[in-house]
Amino acid sequence: MKSAFLYSILIFFLHVSFAQPNTGSIRGKLSDTKTQKPLAGVNVLVRGTLRGTTTDAQGTYRLKGVPAGVFDITFSLIGYTSQTLRHIAIQPDTSIQLDVALVQTAIEADQVVVTASRREQSLREVPVSVSTVTSKMIADHVSVTLDDALRYVPGVNMMQDQVNIRGSSGYSRGVGSRVLILIDGLPYITGDTGEIPWETIPMFQIDRIEIVKGAGSALYGSSALGGVINVITKEIGETSEMRFRLFSGLYDTPRYAEWDWSPTRRLNTGGFVSYSNRVGSFGYLISASRMVDESYRLNDVYHRWGLYSKLNYYFSESQSLTFSTNIQWRKHGNFFWWKSLREATRPADTQINGEVNSTRGNVSLAYKTILSDQVLFSLKAIYYGNFWQDNDAGHVNNTATSHFTQVDAQATYLISQDHILTGGLDANYDYVISDIFGSHPGVGAAVYVQDELAPFQSLKLTAGIRYDWQRVWKELFSSPAATSPAQLNPKIGLVFSPGPTTTLRASYGEGYRYPSISELFTSVTTGVSQIKIVPNDNLRPERSIAVEIGGSQMLGERVFLDMALFQNDFYDLIEGGVNPTRFEIQFTNVTRARIRGLEIGIKADWWNRFLTTDFSYTYIDPIDLSRDVVLTFRSRHLLYASLTAHYRQLQANVDFRSVSRVETIDENLVRLAPIVDGDQRVAYKVIDAGITYDLINAGLPLSIGFTVKNLTNYYYVELLGNLSPLRTYYVSIEGGW
Amino acid sequence: MHVISPMCTILQFVMRLLVLITFCFALSSCEGGLAPPPPIELGFSGIVYFTPNAWPPSDSLFNLLIFASQIYPLDSAKVVDGLFQTPYTIFVYPSLTQSLPLDKADSISYSFPLPPGTYKYVGIIQQINPDFLFRGIRVFRVVGFYKDSTNLSQPGSVEVNDREQVKGINIFVDFQNPPPQPF
Repeated sequence: MKSAFLYSILIFFLHVSFAQPNTGSIRGKLSDTKTQKPLAGVNVLVRGTLRGTTTDAQGTYRLKGVPAGVFDITFSLIGYTSQTLRHIAIQPDTSIQLDVALVQTAIEADQVVVTASRREQSLREVPVSVSTVTSKMIADHVSVTLDDALRYVPGVNMMQDQVNIRGSSGYSRGVGSRVLILIDGLPYITGDTGEIPWETIPMFQIDRIEIVKGAGSALYGSSALGGVINVITKEIGETSEMRFRLFSGLYDTPRYAEWDWSPTRRLNTGGFVSYSNRVGSFGYLISASRMVDESYRLNDVYHRWGLYSKLNYYFSESQSLTFSTNIQWRKHGNFFWWKSLREATRPADTQINGEVNSTRGNVSLAYKTILSDQVLFSLKAIYYGNFWQDNDAGHVNNTATSHFTQVDAQATYLISQDHILTGGLDANYDYVISDIFGSHPGVGAAVYVQDELAPFQSLKLTAGIRYDWQRVWKELFSSPAATSPAQLNPKIGLVFSPGPTTTLRASYGEGYRYPSISELFTSVTTGVSQIKIVPNDNLRPERSIAVEIGGSQMLGERVFLDMALFQNDFYDLIEGGVNPTRFEIQFTNVTRARIRGLEIGIKADWWNRFLTTDFSYTYIDPIDLSRDVVLTFRSRHLLYASLTAHYRQLQANVDFRSVSRVETIDENLVRLAPIVDGDQRVAYKVIDAGITYDLINAGLPLSIGFTVKNLTNYYYVELLGNLSPLRTYYVSIEGGW
Repeated sequence: MHVISPMCTILQFVMRLLVLITFCFALSSCEGGLAPPPPIELGFSGIVYFTPNAWPPSDSLFNLLIFASQIYPLDSAKVVDGLFQTPYTIFVYPSLTQSLPLDKADSISYSFPLPPGTYKYVGIIQQINPDFLFRGIRVFRVVGFYKDSTNLSQPGSVEVNDREQVKGINIFVDFQNPPPQPF
């Protein structure tokens, strides 16, 4: 098995050809048919080649180095009907202009995604369920952090800031995320606790977010048990651009006097600003952000400052280097859980003076080169540093510093129009210094390969495999943790398109998660209660096997239906179990679980796109097979519905989400923490509504918005003992020129 | 003539149904969700059990009270201070001038409101003399107390917190075999 695998890698690299043909270029502008507004973020893809780009804020694009020949060129953007220009002739050393107007639609059958196969491909070619969130959706919902932007994604359920795809995650307060997050294809998980640092993701620079559901370790390695979320940042445009977004939110008064702790109304305010330009081959972008959330809860005030920059240089038409930096400072009150349901907006007495401060940042590098008509090579590296400390009335309790570095080299080989091979190598280094986790280094390496073959035009097969080796040491490279270091994760996928409006898909994939350093080595008595957390370096990696069959169908021209049946089997799930007699928590491999379910999505547009509707429903049956009971902290039913109306420059949207009550929780956790009234929870039904008005026709490059989140002021918890935000009124203004 | 296909009709029906279902769900969000529970009475509660057919005659039963003392052991000076000097350390229920029901029932359930603290001695006292100021003669006697589960001859402590009422503080009273008096 291993030799066959290495042989396939060898074959892959031997096939690489380095010839550089005669090339031409394409440039143009994308706009909305109806409003004539320039469209940013449109994917431009030259079919049958490795060439592609996206439009900038002015809607312009330039695609250099396109080999001479005749091609189909596809333009796609979420929320618009894709358009393919057929038989476009590219002449050597000439440039052609292709301006295209796209038509708005609720249907997204043919958009371009990059996460499912580590390369650009049409959504119709993907054998797994993929959802997307655009920068416009983020702006329309006034989403300040990424977790907020994911709340309407089918099958995704947020437990405050912990993401849960199709029931993959329970209660861990983010530690050991079972969903892998990537920024431009590189992992973005903290080195110490293995959690997603939501607040450091540069929201204003997001072009789109792709959410791949199901195990994804065959391409991305550890943590991709339940799915992969890839945050794709905006490209630097061809011309100078200044953009900003300002918002201010006002929390409403709680309905109950017991929860009204503040004599003044609380605000949530922030802003982003960025400037980018390109001088010849050199492009740059700088961006700053500031956020102050006074919060609707006592001791939950949040301050954040952020700086982001991106530099990009084109060595030639087919070779580029991008360097980006991102740093965020944060001060956050330590509201871990409420005092009681009666005093739900006050923290427990032990947390009243607590605060968590953090400095987090990353530096990343991406080098891409098209070696020939057939071979695209990329080299990416990321360093992610994370420092945090928690204080209690000025006294420092715990601190942790972690350094995580990963390098990824990938090549995509277009053997023929119908046969694509992708492969690569990963290496990572992790080092943690902390008074509660100890000081531990970790090293990992991986090799992966994926073959995509279309034996017939209507059938596409995908097979891939990845070998990971990961090790963490108790001391500096001595006494390794007993965790098994080697993991082999395969994937197989099939897409069958019997007609132009029908796609059937099936997939099998495996996932794993290497335990985080905090799960292996935490040794502390918690400040919020007197429970000890004791280390366990015998943890095994968690594993998952995901199987899915699904299909999508266009019904007429205005209704799109997508359905999936899935089964995810989990092995050796790690949970922080409470020993009630010894007052200890220890992470152990306790659970074998199975989650089966179905997901249905229907999108439609009505009355010549005046109105668009988007429904999704996910049902999961989460069973803890070890104990033959319902898996804790899961909701069975997720129903999301969105309705958007467009009239001239006005857009109004109403979003509704309904999540059924979490059936079972860990009662020991509630009792021993203790979280007073921690078992109090309800099904939740939340309505957000907003209107935006575009002033572009009035000669102003601005749009203004008014949004009400939690319109009916519904009170619920996503996380034990944490009341979710009250009704909040937001005004926002966004502009760019 | 424009002909509507069966597929379109079904689609329209399904979409209308979905809109209706969502609308109904959305309406239900007006219920409000979680709400603060009604105020809780801090303290402890339980049942006082009486040995059957052991009730004293009415001329020696003027009041029956539950007491909770943060101090133990006691003497007469501590009792007076605890009852009448702030901060109070001894509390009685219903009050010094009111009584639990004296209807010779087999048991009485009670709920004793108290400030948070540790109550080391909890029990039932019988007022055996009508006059509080009757000097030289015992006015009250202890007829039952809450027992330490590991040593039934000793009083058990009750920890009253500021979050919830402590339940299950059950006390057994046998008027004919009262426990040793604290002083």
